[in-house]
Amino acid sequence: MNTKVQHMTSKSDNASAPRMPSIFSVYRSELAIAAACVVLLVGVGIFVPAALSSGNFSNILQASAPLVIMSLGVLIVIITGGIDLSVGSIFSLTGMVTALAMANGFDEVTSSLAGLAVGVIFGSINGILITLVGLAPFVVTLITYAVAASLAFIVTNGRSLGVNSPDYWLLNSGEMIPGLPNFVLFCLIFTIVLEFVLRKVTAGRWFYSIGSSPVAAYLLGIPVKRTRFAAYVISGTMASFAGLLTVSYILNAEATAGASLMLQAIAAVVIGGASLSGGTGSAIGAVLGALMITIIQNGVNLIGINSFWQGSVTGLAILVAVLIDRFSHQ
Amino acid sequence: MSPPDIELISVKNLHKSFGVTKVLRGLNFTVRSGQIHALLGGNGAGKSTMIRIITGGIRKDDGEITFSSSNAAEPKIAVVHQELALLPDLSVAENIALVHAASGRSIVRPRQQAEIAHAALSLIDPQLAARDLHLKASELSMHEGQIVEIARALSTGAEVLLLDEPTANLTAGETERLFLVLRRLVREKNIGIVFVSHRMKEIRQLCDVCTIIRDGLTAVDAAPLSTLTDSEIVHQMGQPAHRDEQRKRRNITTAEGSIMLKGPTGDVLVRKGQILGLAGAPAGPSQLIALLNGTGRASRWSIAAEGWPSHPLSPRQAIDLGIGYVSGDRHTKGVLAQLPIVDNVLASRRIRERRYWVHGEERNECMELVQRLKLKAGSIWDLPGTLSGGNQQKLLVARWLAMPLKLVVFEEPTRGVDIGTKRDIYGLIRTMAEQGTTVVWWSTENVELLELCDEILAFDTEGHAKGLLPPDRFNEDALADLTGMAA
Repeated sequence: MNTKVQHMTSKSDNASAPRMPSIFSVYRSELAIAAACVVLLVGVGIFVPAALSSGNFSNILQASAPLVIMSLGVLIVIITGGIDLSVGSIFSLTGMVTALAMANGFDEVTSSLAGLAVGVIFGSINGILITLVGLAPFVVTLITYAVAASLAFIVTNGRSLGVNSPDYWLLNSGEMIPGLPNFVLFCLIFTIVLEFVLRKVTAGRWFYSIGSSPVAAYLLGIPVKRTRFAAYVISGTMASFAGLLTVSYILNAEATAGASLMLQAIAAVVIGGASLSGGTGSAIGAVLGALMITIIQNGVNLIGINSFWQGSVTGLAILVAVLIDRFSHQ
Repeated sequence: MSPPDIELISVKNLHKSFGVTKVLRGLNFTVRSGQIHALLGGNGAGKSTMIRIITGGIRKDDGEITFSSSNAAEPKIAVVHQELALLPDLSVAENIALVHAASGRSIVRPRQQAEIAHAALSLIDPQLAARDLHLKASELSMHEGQIVEIARALSTGAEVLLLDEPTANLTAGETERLFLVLRRLVREKNIGIVFVSHRMKEIRQLCDVCTIIRDGLTAVDAAPLSTLTDSEIVHQMGQPAHRDEQRKRRNITTAEGSIMLKGPTGDVLVRKGQILGLAGAPAGPSQLIALLNGTGRASRWSIAAEGWPSHPLSPRQAIDLGIGYVSGDRHTKGVLAQLPIVDNVLASRRIRERRYWVHGEERNECMELVQRLKLKAGSIWDLPGTLSGGNQQKLLVARWLAMPLKLVVFEEPTRGVDIGTKRDIYGLIRTMAEQGTTVVWWSTENVELLELCDEILAFDTEGHAKGLLPPDRFNEDALADLTGMAA
């Protein structure tokens, strides 16, 4: 996110009162992604006019909500220079645990908390192994990915579980603010809070500092281990919350529900302008990246292209985003 | 029959500029076969730039370089750096044979590799050849690794061996053995060796002639070492006098706020506002610096000062105690390259003052510092990468200004910066001291320590503290003698 203020060099004003970089220069690449999303939507709309209907917009929002939330968690980890491969499995296991708890007579709140605990626990395990034991994030989260994925099968012996609780749909589709479905509300809150934390809270700047140079950050007194640990716990918990939203939406939990989400979340973060080597990225960018992936999937479906092509189109979108990012910095 | 005496490399009137900085300004340098040639010069004199031009790493602006050889072809030049350039996960045999593979398509034949490597190593050390051939490079000691690198260089037919501070990481015994090997190679194979080092004693032990570079010019051109005294060498290397504003040393007698550094061989008392210089090879000063910046819990040194623990446990604690730290290794230990200048400058202060928010006032705060340092920055939201190296270094100093510090630790703060920036940094160090901050400053450039410090603690090349010089005993010869380093 920081590279984008680079072109703002006001050498003329002799620095008596430094001007803040304008909102356009700060969010330059986010605006570009937003524009690309609009172009994609309109492109699909040319073939299938229904793509531009309000019904389809709300479809896209609904479909993207879990990915948006998961991407925001993964973003924090990637900013610190790490990677979290376990989010997809955590998503699946959360759904299974929550559904199982409700099937065993626990109320919705208790069951949801049990689901969230999955993310907190696996995020903590990731954090401990990475910061205290000093293992590589890729390896650690590969381990927790495998373990959580298999646990998701074990808890019900592989069966999918329906949710019978009559009110559970309210978590996703209820309207705490009339006219604004909860899943949109959650996405907005998480995005705004995270963007604020990353830009305006000292501890938020630590994520970037660690990703930029862990040694320099440590010597500056930044609590490197605690900050890293926090990143993995946040990432795990966000993935769990995304799992809860999905269960609440489809009222069914499946062991493979999150299988494809991990790579999509990483893709969303990368499309959003973050570098996998750490130190850059923004919440708004990651959200737009997640929206773009969903728009592509939605478009492929609407146009009637074989859905096996989804992956290829998404891959192409990542390539274009990364190339633009690379050449706009030179 | 005496072996032919050939000018293997002849450099004449070499020029090179980086931007506006003239690094080489008409340098001459000649390497002859059958000689060990000491190449001396202070930091930034142009040694490494010249080596990089000779070996083809960068291009010259002007000048003439001629290579000749006893065979018809151009002589091969091999450089052995202070840090090893072996592939740690490959065996010694593979490391050596690698450079012999004609192309990436040739098939790996372990037996043939072993033969090549064995032949190469036998030239130097038959014992090593028999023992270590199948060890991984990472299992070798520093000395063995260096021998392997030299063997690899020679096996390709190198006639000039450039050794860039090869003894920096060796023990005394290993250095001795390396020197035996080098002398034998020169005698038997009639190669030319260029030896870059700061260690006077080693230069005397090993080398025949010496070239001294100063400010991009050749100050002494291939003079036999026997004709130069130690102090002549030191003076030839010394930077031109810049003592325009000779520091008035203040007599500080109050014990209030002083810090006692307790070392294995004696204690050093630093008074409030004093500048203590640390001179010598990295081994000794780095121990003391690690103690002070909170990264050396197990350091042999300890602190005794009012309200301070004997060992700060982390950089965080050191900062809370009021200890600042500036490293000359700005790429790994200093700059946060992907964060704007404002975050770079204020990171520690946010922590020290428990600021939870990035508030608007910081803009002015940062701007004031940037102006005080005369930093040429476009905007405080630019990345540090848009600044020159010297300005990045000043940025690191800016972190600690206007923050109530009791002690600030400088670790080679003028490494690789131009002379103007050096002056600026000296000024900042002086100002901090005058405002009552105690300064501990390690530099490998003895001249700057002599100019600015109130006392200098000298370490020898093994890392032992050799004595504390008071200002009336300040002179370059005494310091060179105590530290065993020429500059």
